Amino acid sequence: MRNEIELESIIEDYLNGKLTEAEAIAFEQLRLNDPSVDHKVVTHKYFLDSLKEYSNILDLKAKMDHAHGQIDVDALSRKLGPHPSFIVNLWRKNKSAIAVAASFILLSVVSIYSIQQNTEQTGNVKLVSMELAKIKNSQSNLIRKINSNNSPRNIRPANFGGTGFALTSNGYFLTNLHVVEGADSIVIVDNKGNQYRVKVERSDSQYDLAVLKIDDGVAFPGLANLPYRLKQNGIGMGDEVYTLGYPREESVLGQGYVSSKSGYGGDTTQYQVSIDVNPGNSGGPLLDQDGNIIGVISAKQERVDGASFAVKSKYIQEIINTIPDDSLSKKASFSKKNVLRGLNKKEKLEKINDYVFMIKVYK
Amino acid sequence: MSNKLSSSVPTDREVVLGILNNSEDALNKLYAGYFPMILQFILNNNGDEDDAKDVYQEGIIVLYNKIKGGDFELSSKLKTYIYSVCRRIWLKKLAQQSKKTNNISDFEDIVSTEIDLEEHEEKDRQFEKMQAAILHLGEPCKTIIQDFYINNLSMHDISEKFGYTNTDNAKTQKYKCLQRLKKLFFQS
Repeated sequence: MRNEIELESIIEDYLNGKLTEAEAIAFEQLRLNDPSVDHKVVTHKYFLDSLKEYSNILDLKAKMDHAHGQIDVDALSRKLGPHPSFIVNLWRKNKSAIAVAASFILLSVVSIYSIQQNTEQTGNVKLVSMELAKIKNSQSNLIRKINSNNSPRNIRPANFGGTGFALTSNGYFLTNLHVVEGADSIVIVDNKGNQYRVKVERSDSQYDLAVLKIDDGVAFPGLANLPYRLKQNGIGMGDEVYTLGYPREESVLGQGYVSSKSGYGGDTTQYQVSIDVNPGNSGGPLLDQDGNIIGVISAKQERVDGASFAVKSKYIQEIINTIPDDSLSKKASFSKKNVLRGLNKKEKLEKINDYVFMIKVYK
Repeated sequence: MSNKLSSSVPTDREVVLGILNNSEDALNKLYAGYFPMILQFILNNNGDEDDAKDVYQEGIIVLYNKIKGGDFELSSKLKTYIYSVCRRIWLKKLAQQSKKTNNISDFEDIVSTEIDLEEHEEKDRQFEKMQAAILHLGEPCKTIIQDFYINNLSMHDISEKFGYTNTDNAKTQKYKCLQRLKKLFFQS
């Protein structure tokens, strides 16, 4: 207690410049050596400044009140107050206010109507949503729980669903690790309904990425050359982006823009995008206008609509690099020419859609 | 509006120098000089005399802080600046009371004051925080703190005023009071 009081009075003297030169040097040394002392000095300074500011304004207000007392406000008011002809103006003002009010009511009726339309749809999606508290508490991973079994080939229904996309033409796919983690078996389904069993080839828990490979012994016809390439640079705020994913049995397009170059809590490995994603979108590719892959959709912020996060494409490249080159043929890379350039949006999406797969996970 | 304001107004240089020198006379002249302008504006835009006083005093505080801050450049006439600041403050208050803010009757030119007002709002929050903290502090702490930090009384004066047997006791008391005030201030 005694020491605390001493310390504070020294800090006060220091801030007020009342220490001798030698004392001040010694004290500065103490500040450097002891962060807790330094912290106290900073807080105390901030506090004293606030107090000083407070007393200045208090003083100024008192002086102004004094000055105000010298003014004959009533006489001035009579002279300067609204003129009778202002009633006409007032009426005119009200007329426009009524017009504003009327258009506002019209607008709200329309928007309430459209909100009702919207909530019907999202309500259904939310029913099948499920949270896996894996990466961060306030981020919800976008795994979809599949309730129905509408594929006759499976005896058991799939428990979880996600999205993945082709990394190579010979059977490597990328998705989020949280989609496939802890799975007994994983099946990918293309947009024609063909199913292929896959296994996890590589996983990266740091960036929540997993590379899947067609299981040995499964006949996989292979894909044509990948239409997209990875793009790492030159992506900025406001760039239009879209994603394809399987929040339900059909692939669904989501469109938006890059809203921040960092993800949840300033995570620089991610982008924040304004796309409204739903459970099942996890692992979907994040594409730019030209059809380049710039990231992987991985999570959305809970209770905040339209704030989703995508792992940057740089980390896709990193996980690809961990796979031996000779087992990859015609892989997606940063360098290859983009064959989609020049096509219109619909044609691009049709092409890319063949390379985006639904992932069914059995646990 | 045909009512031209005729009260005597100090020159802009007088005001700035006066404020920098803490001259009370300059403040009085400034206050009396531009109050009618703001009163006229508020009265004709859904306000009363008290609103005019509050808004005007807030506007003068903004001007004070700007001049005292040292970065004051007379890019516009002082009159225009004060008018613009007060206008902005009043429009904001009207919006907060959800009164209509279209069709504002203007009497002067306007310059942009957004940055100054953002700074002012931050300072105002600090002011209110401190005011609330001091209010909750209670006696005798409130008076001790005000005497020491605001009225600049010495520890010796304070111990005499409050009848402490020696300055050390007064110091201990002041320390405890300050700790409590800090706690109130930083927690709010």
